[in-house]
Parts: sequence; structure tokens; C-alpha cells
Amino acid sequence: MSLTFLIILALTAAITFLVVMAAVSLVIHKNAVARRQRIQRRLTEEYAVALTEMLMTELPSLPATAPSSARFRQYESLLEPIKKQLQSLSRRRRRIHRTALLEVMLDYAQDLTGEAADRVVYAAYSLDYVQELIAELKSRQWYSRAQAARDLGVIGAKRAIGGLTAALEDDHPDVRFQAIQALIVLVGADALRTIFRVGGRLSTWNMMGLSVIVLRFKEDVVPHLIEGLYAADQSFVLFCIEMLAEIGFVSAVEPLRRIATDYPNVVVRAKAIEALGRLGDERAEPLLLKNASNPYPVMRLRALQALRKVGSPAALPVLEERLREGPLEEKIAAARAMARTGLEGWTVLERMRKEEGTLAAAAAVQVLEELSIGGSA
Amino acid sequence: MGQLILVAEDQQHIRNLIEYKLKNSGYDVVAVEDGAAALEKARELSPALIMLDIMMPLMTGFEVLASLKNDPHTKAIPVLLVTAQSKEHEVLRGLELGAEDYITKPFSPNELAARVKKVLLKHTAT
Repeated sequence: MSLTFLIILALTAAITFLVVMAAVSLVIHKNAVARRQRIQRRLTEEYAVALTEMLMTELPSLPATAPSSARFRQYESLLEPIKKQLQSLSRRRRRIHRTALLEVMLDYAQDLTGEAADRVVYAAYSLDYVQELIAELKSRQWYSRAQAARDLGVIGAKRAIGGLTAALEDDHPDVRFQAIQALIVLVGADALRTIFRVGGRLSTWNMMGLSVIVLRFKEDVVPHLIEGLYAADQSFVLFCIEMLAEIGFVSAVEPLRRIATDYPNVVVRAKAIEALGRLGDERAEPLLLKNASNPYPVMRLRALQALRKVGSPAALPVLEERLREGPLEEKIAAARAMARTGLEGWTVLERMRKEEGTLAAAAAVQVLEELSIGGSA
Repeated sequence: MGQLILVAEDQQHIRNLIEYKLKNSGYDVVAVEDGAAALEKARELSPALIMLDIMMPLMTGFEVLASLKNDPHTKAIPVLLVTAQSKEHEVLRGLELGAEDYITKPFSPNELAARVKKVLLKHTAT
């Protein structure tokens, strides 16, 4: 037998051995996972039953003057069987049991209100889950920190407010977002004051999530959003402007005018101009007219677009100037704003359309057609 | 023996809790975990009331409700819907389909028992 043949044979044997070993390991791993899942499911079922009993057991009524500690003693007596069971377990098994129990507690915390929910909160404190989750907010893994922030909000652990406030400055956006959600659950709309003051930058996706939460509070949130216009992080300033325009509260006009005038960043100023247009308040018109000649193109365009909502005949000279002199986008925005002013604006547009061969005339024709009056003229 | 209530809820912890609370309140309870089983049990047992979660596997609460109201044997059974908070359209759809009342998650077990009692009293009176 040649040496080459022996080498090939040895290599084939080695590869076959490795493949068999890998397959065996895979089967063992899969079985172990399935077994873990079975145990977890069984434990979850067991603790669902135990916790249901703890939550639903009727307690002797207490006098109205009884201190809350008397109620807590009653809750503690209900928790005794669960505590005893946990204490009887080895450290490793206790950890598995506690994970299953926490899962059930979180389910209940999400679905219950009233006195039953108070019992869940008490159990979370008494079984040291709150303390553990607060410590978990400092975990090295971002997903553990995010999960802990979420769970603390679901449980309603007010003791975690400090830790969650610190988590607003976490390096990871998902942790910051979970901390925001938890703080809003625990504190309500007032939490936004702190969130806007210290919160770190959020992703666009998380901003969308936050907008859904904020819009639920409607007008109640307006004072916080106005305060948020001076947030440390610019993304929150943009967020507050957007929300103020969306909620459409009249008290937002003055603060937005200030931002549109004084804010150092032009993107934020332009966003404020846009919001003023969406609010449709006539008090914004002088500022919008002024910005229609702003050196920044984005400011001019946003101002012209906003004038479509709040422009009066007094805006016509400025609008005509932009229709003649501005780039195409501005011409169209100016023509649309003109049309909004009524007969006087339409007269100007009709005059402009006769200046054939110019871009201003083309913009006037387009807008008149949009208004369905161009065809008949 | 108490009145029979059929509870259809896919989440085990909520099913346990409703079952426990209603049994403690003196009712007989049969609990199932999906819509198809709910429909089958409703036809078989003719319960005094059905508590129906909207989001369930196999058949949604709406589908079960529509089937119940189209069946002459089950048409008259009052149905109490269990729905997630802030889903007004679900509540409206359920009421249009013939549900008697609804309760939103998160809920208080005591409130739930009170609602059940109220629906049963109203139904008995009519």
C-alpha cells in the first residue's frame, strides 16, 4: 500500500469520526433543550396554579384604619407555601423554579388590576425579584438590561424608578426605550419630564413606539412636550415638535415660534416652522413670511409650505417674489400658498400663467390645475 | 349546583384565574383553551354564560361568537367577551355580533365576577 493511500484512509476515518461525533452531540443537545423546555413548561403550569391560589384566596377584611403593614402580613402568609418550596430546592433548581415563577408573575401583572395586582407586586418584592431585576439593569449584556427594565415596568416596581432613570442614559437604544416605557407605566405622563431631560438618543423605530405612548395622553402631555423642546438630546427636541404638531394644541404656538427663531440647529428650526404650519394658527404668519426669505433653502421651503395653511392676502407680495425668484420647489409651494389666500391669490396666479415660457408660469398652471380651475380658464 | 359557565381562554394563567374566581363565586365552570373546543362544548353543554377571549387559536372569539349566534340551540346563550385594552374596534365588532358585555385586560377578578353576575341576572330576568 502506498503512503498516499494510507493518508487518504486515515483522513477519511478521521472525517467520518468527526461527522458521527457532531451528529451525536447535536442529538444530545436537542434532547437536552427539549427536556429543559418540558421542565420549564411543567413548572410554569405548577406555579400558575400556586399563584392563582395566592391571588384569589379570600382574606379576612381589615378595618379601614389598619396600616398597610397589616395587609402585607396577610399577603406574606399567602406566599409562605411558595417560599418554603423554593427554600427546599438546591441552588441550581431554585434558579430554574424562580425563572418559571417570574414568568407567571409577569403574565399576571400584565393582565390584572385591583387588589389582585397589588398581591403580584407584593410577591415580586417579597421574593426579591425587584432587587434582582434592579441589579440586572447593570448586566454586561444589553438584552438582559432591556429585559430587566421591561419586567420592572410590567411588575410595577416603584422602587426601581432610580435604576430606570439611570438606564435612560444606557449605551444601548433598546435599553433606553424599555426604561422609558417602564417609567411611563410607573409614573405616568410626568415621567416625560425626566425622560426628555436626561434621555439619550433613541432610534427612529423607538421614537415611533414612543409616539404611540405619548399620543395616548393627549392634551395632558402638552406641558411636558413644551418643556421637552429644551431637551438635552436633539432627537427628543425633534420628537417633541412632531408630537406638538400632531396633538395640535394652541399653547404650543409660542414655544414653537421661539424654537423656530432661536434654536441653533437649522434642521430643528425648519421642523418647528413645519409644525407651525400644521397647527394652522394665524399668529405664526409674520414669522413664516420672514422665513420665506431665509438664507437657508430648507427654511424657505418649510415656511412657504406652512403658509399654505396660515397665509392671508398680506402674504401675497412675499409669495409672488418666491414664485418668480425661487427654485422650482419653492415656486410650487409659493403658488399653492397663494391659492390658499382666495380670489386675490388666484388673480395673481392667473396673471402669472400668462407669462408663458417661464418656470413661474408652469408652477402657476400646475397649481391652478390642482385646484381644478385651470382647465376652464 | 351553580349555573354552568363556559370559559374559553388560551392563556393558561388567565384561564386558571377565571376558573378559580368563578368557582369560588358559586358557579360550575368548564374551561377550554381554543375556539373550536369552545364551540363544541357550548353545543354539548348549553351553559348559562360563555366567557370568550377574542384572540384564540383555531377559531377566534369573533368566529365562535358568530357561529353561536347563527345556531338556534346556542343563540340565546349570553356571551361576555374578554379583550385587550385600547382595542375599541374589537369591542364594537363583538357587540355588533351579539355579545352581551365585555371586559378588558387588565381586569380585576372581582369586577369580572360582578360582570358575570350582572349578565346572568339580566338574562334570567328576560
